[in-house]
Amino acid sequence: MNPQLLGQSIVLGILTGGVYALMASGLTLIFGVMRVVNVAHAAMIVMSAYLSWMLYRTLGLDPLLSIIVLMPVFFVLGALGQWVVLRRLGGRDLTLTVLVSFGFAIILEGLQGSLWSSSFQAINTAYSLDSFNILGIYVPLVRLLAAGAALALLGALFVVLSRTNLGRAIRATTQDPRSAALVGVNVEYVTTLAFGLGVAMAAAGGPLLGMLFAFYPATHWLWIGKLLAVVVLGGLGSLKGTFVAAMILGLAEQVATVTISLDWAPLVFYLFLFGVLIVRPRGLFGTVARESL
Amino acid sequence: MLLEIEGLCAGYGSGGDILRGVDLSLAEGDFVCLIGPNGAGKSTLLRAISGILRPRRGTIRFDGTDVAGLRPDLLFRRGIAHVPQGRSTFPQMTVHENLLMGAYSIRDRGLARERLEVAAAFFPIVVEQANRRAGLLSGGEQKQVEMARAIVTSPRLMLLDEPTLGLEPRASRTVMAKMRELNEHGVTILLVEQNARTGLGTARTGCVMELGTIKLRGEGQRLLDDPQVKRLYLGESAAV
Ligand SMILES: Nc1ncnc2c1ncn2[C@@H]1O[C@H](COP(=O)(O)OP(=O)(O)OP(=O)(O)O)[C@@H](O)[C@H]1O
Ligand SMILES: [Mg+2]
Repeated sequence: MNPQLLGQSIVLGILTGGVYALMASGLTLIFGVMRVVNVAHAAMIVMSAYLSWMLYRTLGLDPLLSIIVLMPVFFVLGALGQWVVLRRLGGRDLTLTVLVSFGFAIILEGLQGSLWSSSFQAINTAYSLDSFNILGIYVPLVRLLAAGAALALLGALFVVLSRTNLGRAIRATTQDPRSAALVGVNVEYVTTLAFGLGVAMAAAGGPLLGMLFAFYPATHWLWIGKLLAVVVLGGLGSLKGTFVAAMILGLAEQVATVTISLDWAPLVFYLFLFGVLIVRPRGLFGTVARESL
Repeated sequence: MLLEIEGLCAGYGSGGDILRGVDLSLAEGDFVCLIGPNGAGKSTLLRAISGILRPRRGTIRFDGTDVAGLRPDLLFRRGIAHVPQGRSTFPQMTVHENLLMGAYSIRDRGLARERLEVAAAFFPIVVEQANRRAGLLSGGEQKQVEMARAIVTSPRLMLLDEPTLGLEPRASRTVMAKMRELNEHGVTILLVEQNARTGLGTARTGCVMELGTIKLRGEGQRLLDDPQVKRLYLGESAAV
């Protein structure tokens, strides 16, 4: 085993893991407040990748800068969708909500197929092929930029959740919606904003996905599988857990690629996931749901 | 009257009425203890008052206006604080963050800081344990955090649902003493208490609830001496 190659794969694994964490963060946030898995989350990310690709091709807008445009648009659309559609399904019927998000994923996929054909795309900028060497470790520039953007956005999300009134209200609603209401939190309103925030995080993931990976309308099925695995490993609803699990996925993939083979990369992660779930069914950072008295 | 309830009926989902015409009123400064057997509807009554459960019929007048059917967050902002049965801290948040949630509805930052200090003076535990996760505290400590959180907005009416349930005697006495102290500071209290002897001994007024209605109301001490109450509740609670 070549130590240089191992070092290389660890660096790449961490950089990719950061991007996975960003992509999964919205899924975790939405699950936290609604107790519903948004199956359309990856389709939203791919949608954002397409829009970023369009903005680059037509206006020459850098994909990293397109994040600034796409996040607010997705936030508003997400919040509106939650308020107008999902809220009416009335938190009780979770199955129905999952089905609606499943249907929405298919609609997005169809829309992308008809607008942009179903062939592979990628966002190729002037610096897409640049790379540099630190201590003999080869680092593609886009990976570093994407990871930097992902970590900055995750940091911002963390600050919002831990330091602002709205952020605390989102966490309170996640932990105990009834108690949140009893201290004056309008739970429906906070849920809507949290949903919008989750969708905005999906928007941020799109351009990064487009810079690092090829995409086509149906790629979201691959991604939702990966992201769900991350969210489950982290312990449903825990942002810290999501972050750690995403890093593990990134590392497992890269290290398995150089030590075993490319084909083994996903399998290694899923084996790890099963191992963890057998020992700790609630995931790495999950908490047992408290019985209500 | 601060709180006037008339003919209140409520139940869960499509089930039958659990509250079957409750009449109850509390004057400003009252300390009323509600006792009754398991399943009588005591918790349900508190839920209907605080808006967690939507009443089906009847009126709930708070400070002169009918508030039946309002959302719980709006009722809290009007001055009704409810500390529900069981645990209701935000377990993953620190004690300090739990307290901050009590100030969520206060827009003025200076006022919020002032009110947080008052709450902390009542319940020193929120300062002593400020940075611990609330879920890690003992039951008695968590109950105090919940009460501290509930008084940040200086509510006019406090609903407390079996706050001493499952607490060891010392923690239980602390909680009861804190309630008396709050009442002396002018907070009107409606307390549900499993232990009739403690509850009726602490409160000024007692009410007995059975099968979704208020059966009996009287001075706390007098209810303690009532032969029927003695037979039904004090014997039972002594056995518990
Ligand atoms: N969330 C709920 N959904 C459906 N039925 C409920 C619910 N909560 C309580 N009930 C029913 O309502 C009735 C009254 O319950 P409630 O909790 O108000 O009684 P309680 O007087 O507080 O009893 P306890 O002393 O055991 O706390 C019971 O028959 C109970 O089964
Ligand atoms: Mg009860």
